[in-house]
Amino acid sequence: MKTLNFSFATKLTFDNYVHSHCFALRCLPIESNSQHIVNCEMNISPFVPTKNTVDAFGNNVTAGYIGKEHRFLDFEINGCAEIDLSKPKTDYMPCYLYPSEYTKPDKNLVDFYNEISVKCNAEKPYERAVFFSDILSDLIRYEKGVTDTKTTSVQAFELKKGVCQDFSHIMLSLLRLDKIPSRYIAGLAVCDGETHSWIEVWDGEKWIGLDPANNCPVNEDYLVLSQGRDFGDCSIDRGVMFGAYTKQLQLITSSLKTAY
Amino acid sequence: MKNQQILPITNADEINNLLRRYGVKFGVYKNGQFKEQFFPFDPIPRIIEAEKFKVIESGLVQRADALNKFLFDIYHKKNIIRDGIVPEDFVYISSGYLPQCEGVTPPENIYSHISGIDLVEGKDGEWYILEDNLRIPSGASYPLIARELTRAASPDVFSENGIVDNRNYAKLLKDTMDFVNRGGINAILTPGRYNAAYFEHSYLAELTGAALVQNDELFVEDNMLWQKTYSGGKTRIGTLYRRISDEYLDPLTFNPQSLIGIPNLMEAYRSGNVAIINSLGNGVADDKGIYYFVPKMIEYYLGEKAILKNAPTYLPFYEEDREYVIKNIHKLVIKDVAEAGGYGVVFGSDLSEEKLESFRQTIINEPRRFIAQEVIDFKDLPILENGGQVMRKADLRAFVLSGETTRVWASGLTRFSRNPDSFVVNSSQGGGFKDTWVML
Repeated sequence: MKTLNFSFATKLTFDNYVHSHCFALRCLPIESNSQHIVNCEMNISPFVPTKNTVDAFGNNVTAGYIGKEHRFLDFEINGCAEIDLSKPKTDYMPCYLYPSEYTKPDKNLVDFYNEISVKCNAEKPYERAVFFSDILSDLIRYEKGVTDTKTTSVQAFELKKGVCQDFSHIMLSLLRLDKIPSRYIAGLAVCDGETHSWIEVWDGEKWIGLDPANNCPVNEDYLVLSQGRDFGDCSIDRGVMFGAYTKQLQLITSSLKTAY
Repeated sequence: MKNQQILPITNADEINNLLRRYGVKFGVYKNGQFKEQFFPFDPIPRIIEAEKFKVIESGLVQRADALNKFLFDIYHKKNIIRDGIVPEDFVYISSGYLPQCEGVTPPENIYSHISGIDLVEGKDGEWYILEDNLRIPSGASYPLIARELTRAASPDVFSENGIVDNRNYAKLLKDTMDFVNRGGINAILTPGRYNAAYFEHSYLAELTGAALVQNDELFVEDNMLWQKTYSGGKTRIGTLYRRISDEYLDPLTFNPQSLIGIPNLMEAYRSGNVAIINSLGNGVADDKGIYYFVPKMIEYYLGEKAILKNAPTYLPFYEEDREYVIKNIHKLVIKDVAEAGGYGVVFGSDLSEEKLESFRQTIINEPRRFIAQEVIDFKDLPILENGGQVMRKADLRAFVLSGETTRVWASGLTRFSRNPDSFVVNSSQGGGFKDTWVML
């Protein structure tokens, strides 16, 4: 068991006034068997009443509506969590076995899967995932700025580069082709100044975390913010607003540290 | 009441003129262009005897009840899959299955408040179910207003003939909306006048006393749905009757590109603060692939035999059925499970040998995508054409309303094909409609 202090902040700035702004945040860390939230505080500015619900995937959703004109939306969370991987998560959903919006494979990806799966002698789902991850880490280069939040696994695989989100998506495509249920995780990792993404593999009775971008197992230095079929179910903030043409600037800072 | 004594409607032209005057139209998109079409009304009614209707009615109630139980089960415990009645692939690969609805319980556990069930009468006098429409089926307004105008133009027809009054549809619909209402007004959400069913939205709003709303005047605050009022205030909405597909309904949960949805509607719905008619995720139950399993569902959930038969259907997904379909494709009708409105329906008899062969390959490659059915030799109905009577194919869309109880509207939309060679009766394919008289 490990105790982690976490903080996460987003500043959204618009260069003109917006109104009728509706948003849904998925940034309050999940309470699960392996993750207990000791305390967590959330601040949103400008002040707006919000409601919290839990969505179908088990994520905390904070929903709000700002009718009046405003030029920014800031939100931050601060808190403390206990991570204990000896108590695994068992919340299964059948959809994790099937392709989703971001992870639908094309012919290239299916061919690639056929090529590598015959070489894989491992039988256990997690071991097979490790085998695939090893291959990906040699094949795909970690590079920022070449992909964005709309990039699918097919597109990232074609580029052979991307960030943690893309590594996760490609892994999910391969695992689901391999008939292994698997899911996308958005969260924070120690030693990472931004939000991170990794995956979880269903081994028949529990979830096991794997970090394909770093090609390593997930230990107790990881905090889960949200989970789902792919990035689409996990976006930290989604919103719709009205206004004259506006650019928006988003700054994210986060930190995750072992509490002593 | 005996058939031969029925007093005919003689002033069809007047009625069609009245329908035009009242704007009874539907919209069609063809080659990227929006066109409004007049929906031609044929004055010769379809007549269903009371005895026969009783059978249809109990069969439809049974079917709608089983489908509602199926939807609840799929989004909760999934017993029907666990017990091996429906293969899980058919459920989870269906584009109508929405994982976002897992564990979400609609008010009063009702998923399909309005079920539009399409039937045909075979030449053997038996009624067959063609398909279920559980994602806000449209069409009730057409026979409803036609009856209203026919009554005005030929009042003696209705005083002389013993016809069940069908003008209670609005009452049935209002009762259903009221029953699931979570506090606030009833509202009908229309994407606007360029929607295919815009006439229906405005007519039903007027008849049920619901507000006719568009998305730009709605918002979610405190996980409740509100309508902006002209004075700057807000009115709560407790029941939302919508005709926007699930994937466009909330850009923060589903398609983020949607401009016709209501952001965070899903939050309000999941919190139990608004009823949505029909509920989200129903597409998994009216999937053409799931259709095959409905009689099994009725036995599974209700412990009863299905009263109304399905058309004989084959699933290429099962090897035995696939072999049959490949061998007999020339005499079958093949349907793409993802399409609606008469699109994606192919009659094997219309295809050249070359096309049949490539279609066979498509079916072998994507067996889950198609169902195949025997072509039912259904009864032709007489229609008026150029002063004489001709016989045409026709179906019946029956409307089942699920609220406190499940009720079948004693009428329906009888659609016919104007093309003598066509079995496809969908209004978007150029057909017309008739009134449906259920006799006392």
